Amino acid sequence: MTRPDEEAAVTGHFVRSYVITGGRRLPEADELSLHTLVTLAPDAELPLGASPEVREIWELCAGGYLAVAEVSAHLGLPVGVARLLLTDLFEQGHLLRRAAPPRAQLVDRETIEKVLHGLQTRYG
Amino acid sequence: MTSLLQDPLLWVLLAVLLAAVFAVMKARRTNMALRRQNENLRSARDGLQGERNQLYTDYAALRTQHSDALAEVRQDAEAETKDVLKSAMRTLQVLADEQQHVIDKAQRKYGDDSEILADLMLVDHTNSQFSRRAQGIAVLCGGWLGRRETIASVYDVARSAQGRIKHFDRVRINSQVNVSVAPRAVEPVAVVLAELLANATNYSAPGTPVEINIQTVSTGVCLIVDDAGLGMSQEEKDRAAELLDPQGPVAITGLGNPPKFGFAVSGMLAARYGFKVSVDSVSPYGGVRAVILLPENLLTTNVPEPEESGATGHRHADGQSAVPGPTPVPDPEPMAQPQRLTSMATSAHHAAPARPVGTTAGGLPKRRRISSVSVVPFPVDADEAEREQPEPEHGGQVTAARISAFARGTQLGRNTPSTEGPEAQ
Repeated sequence: MTRPDEEAAVTGHFVRSYVITGGRRLPEADELSLHTLVTLAPDAELPLGASPEVREIWELCAGGYLAVAEVSAHLGLPVGVARLLLTDLFEQGHLLRRAAPPRAQLVDRETIEKVLHGLQTRYG
Repeated sequence: MTSLLQDPLLWVLLAVLLAAVFAVMKARRTNMALRRQNENLRSARDGLQGERNQLYTDYAALRTQHSDALAEVRQDAEAETKDVLKSAMRTLQVLADEQQHVIDKAQRKYGDDSEILADLMLVDHTNSQFSRRAQGIAVLCGGWLGRRETIASVYDVARSAQGRIKHFDRVRINSQVNVSVAPRAVEPVAVVLAELLANATNYSAPGTPVEINIQTVSTGVCLIVDDAGLGMSQEEKDRAAELLDPQGPVAITGLGNPPKFGFAVSGMLAARYGFKVSVDSVSPYGGVRAVILLPENLLTTNVPEPEESGATGHRHADGQSAVPGPTPVPDPEPMAQPQRLTSMATSAHHAAPARPVGTTAGGLPKRRRISSVSVVPFPVDADEAEREQPEPEHGGQVTAARISAFARGTQLGRNTPSTEGPEAQ
């Protein structure tokens, strides 16, 4: 703790998320789920006056496909906010997206537990 | 002669004469007595007058003494009030800051649910306004705002200020300036700008926009706030100018009830940190034009980190994505490798959360199989790939482990509120 006369550090995020979204309605998750993969369209050009967040997305997505969740984590923003920005870019035609890779086949919980148990008896 | 003596008239005359003499003598005596009395009275009066003058001086002296004492008491009371308020506000400031952290965390935790996130944003917005008020009162009481550790671009300072007022959605920011504000001035400038924005939005019609224009001038950078309100009268302008250029501590009791803190806070902060605030010009929209002039010594041309890492450490300050690829030095951590492959632009030297992946990767051999998930195509461009250092031996495995961990993590995260725990076991 700091002394009474000392200036304490403020550590909260400087620019609040509702300012980044401009108070707009957040999109639903249907279009861009957490593991939808996005990348820049080949001939996309950074829009003029792009916000720092959009620039960052631009740089993140320039290198290949990245999941929505990853974009959000890299930006350090809530998924919903990243999703709004991505939706904007998508609607402007700057982004390509593809569905998430198919899930690994789900094994029922019992089997997994058995395997885990077996491993634990063997190695644990 | 005898006849004369016997004349009664003579006697009468004589008697009258005697009476006259007697009367004159008596009158004279009375006169003298009166004169004496008059003199006595006069001297008494002079004495009294002197006494009165003395009393007057005494009274005046006492009066000054009294008013001095009163002023002193007032000053003491004000100082004491300020001290008390300052520490009370400090508590509130800390609480607001803590709450902001909690909200940050919650926003990240429930970020996938747009409804919850929208509600959290409302809470956040209210908290920011609350925090600004607490900061304002603290400043007037001689307290501190709280310091930022990192520089911030002028644009971000403007956006931060925007977030602290009620009608933030009416604010438009136009900036072509690529300058940053020094850490110590970041918070004060944001607070002052927020106060000016609050004034601008409060004293203009609900639907009208409020503009922030950021311009470079020869002595620094100008932040110009224009509103389309009614403007201020000359009297208001004079009062504002007085508050914006304070000659000493501002009496908080002199700010009206309900108090109008804005200009007083701005003036105090401007004086303390050495920038200028003025509201005496007219905006092109007819309202007030408020100008903050930041001198060179509060500015820096360094590029700010795209985000300041919060104390919670939840932000993966993935650093200089604004300056991509400045660190060709290979990261000693193999964990960083897949990260770099999937996102070239992110700086190489800073892997996102390595810990959970590290713990999960070591465990079950089954995870390796999920390497099929790594269909995530790597950048096709060969030039980018060759920029990479030679992959560590287990690059493929680690990639697979990481991506699979991530994939399961996101799935799990959607099913349970906990994001890590059970996975690592």
